[in-house]
Amino acid sequence: MIFDSYEAYKQAGFKPKACILGSGPAGTTIARKLGAAGIPVVVLEAGSREFSEESQDFYRGKTVGDFYFDLDITRLRFMGGSSNHWAGWCRVLDKQDFEPKAWAPDTGWPISRADIDPYLGEVHDILELPAFRPDVPVSDDIRWVQLIKSLAVRFGEKYADELDKSKNIAVVLNTYATELAGDGKRVTGAKLWSNGQDAGTFSADYFVACTGGLENSRLLLWSNERSNGGVVPNAAALGRYWMEHPTFEGGNAILANYSEFEVDASNEAFFSPTLAAMERLQILNFGIRLIESPYPNVKKLIADLACTAPNMAEWMSFQLDQRLRCAAQLYVAWEQAPLASNRIELSKTDVDHAGVPRIELRWKKSPLERRTLLEGLRLFGTTMAQKNLGRVRIDDWISNGGDYPINEETAGHHHMGGTRMGTDVLKSVVDANCKVHGMDNFYVGGSSVFCTSGQCNPTTTITALACRLGEHLGKVIAV
Amino acid sequence: MSRFIRKMSRRAIVQALITLPALSLFRSQQPAVDADEVVEINGWILRRSDLA
Repeated sequence: MIFDSYEAYKQAGFKPKACILGSGPAGTTIARKLGAAGIPVVVLEAGSREFSEESQDFYRGKTVGDFYFDLDITRLRFMGGSSNHWAGWCRVLDKQDFEPKAWAPDTGWPISRADIDPYLGEVHDILELPAFRPDVPVSDDIRWVQLIKSLAVRFGEKYADELDKSKNIAVVLNTYATELAGDGKRVTGAKLWSNGQDAGTFSADYFVACTGGLENSRLLLWSNERSNGGVVPNAAALGRYWMEHPTFEGGNAILANYSEFEVDASNEAFFSPTLAAMERLQILNFGIRLIESPYPNVKKLIADLACTAPNMAEWMSFQLDQRLRCAAQLYVAWEQAPLASNRIELSKTDVDHAGVPRIELRWKKSPLERRTLLEGLRLFGTTMAQKNLGRVRIDDWISNGGDYPINEETAGHHHMGGTRMGTDVLKSVVDANCKVHGMDNFYVGGSSVFCTSGQCNPTTTITALACRLGEHLGKVIAV
Repeated sequence: MSRFIRKMSRRAIVQALITLPALSLFRSQQPAVDADEVVEINGWILRRSDLA
């Protein structure tokens, strides 16, 4: 069932056991799991079926620190959430991403990759993916990895019919849970705003916040403030350890045989470090993307190389004359160190139309990440040279310690952390089952529970964690 | 000519001159350049052999 307002939903007399806030990949997946288990569930979606400027305005906010995207641009507030603009790139976090790393504080999850592996079959059906191929070692230091560029499932479009026909799932559009109320043990209700006005309160036995990697923190911070700590009793880490995937052009490569690593229609290939290399160099995970260079870039590269390695430049020039692909730009996206100082706060001066404080995001890249970028490119370049696969040139701003450019990709629009998973209540918000520490009926879904970011796009892992949480919650509710 | 040289016999001087080339055997050996060594020059990560 899909309702266009909370008023219409109320008239239907539906009695849900669980309430999910948000209809993005996490919210929709958990709702479908519960619905399939015969558990009545309501999904409250703040936006409507389509994009609107009016809805999007609720996402405006401010960033303090490093340059970042406008907060109303980097996510979407309508049915299907940010799946409506994701690129469809899929990969699950690596096994090593779940492990604690002695050289990077506050890394390590309370679960392992093996805990989400059983759900990957479902994830492949949901995201319509072929099977992943295993990583291919290029050297002891570098792996050739796969990112599947899928058709980018828009959850709102894909599941609209199924949800509309469902007897167990009610999706209520244009209905914004502005705050949750809690008594330190349970969430007791939600205050709603529907179609531009106060819509009263709502209660259910269980609540799951799936409003996104920025908005989950905002909702919990505001709810906790309003209920004097009754929604997140252990709030030391709430809003903190927020992470992105910084992404910048890092250099160029000339390649002996470009097609050796060709994996997708756009001639792009991806490389990551081995755990042993990360440990030896004390760096974080990263992904290097090879993108075929346009002709003018190749000429510039030849001119630059001619001064240092004339024979190599001559070979490259010959390849270019033969119209052979021989060069690539290197884009690097890397794992961000989980730092408590990278955090979401509530604005003290700016509120949205419903009176909820807007987000103030405090975000800076760390020296460890800067080293990951430089040493990662050196590692990749060394493997390419040693194996005679090609040669790498690192961009000057990286070699010389210059400022990050502000006219590049900047980051992946991947919002992670803020309600991270863990066992230490001072450094985490939810437990290994995504239940808020100290609460009996309150869970969090989505990338806000990530402890570390790894280097890959998060949607595949978000969906796997949602399958896991949906299954767990189904068992809890059925008892 | 120094007093030291004046005291040496002609034979001793000739023997000393003959021995001189052998002394080079005891000089420290310069390491051979490894053509496969990876070096970083002007941002390029190259093999030393690329520099020829």
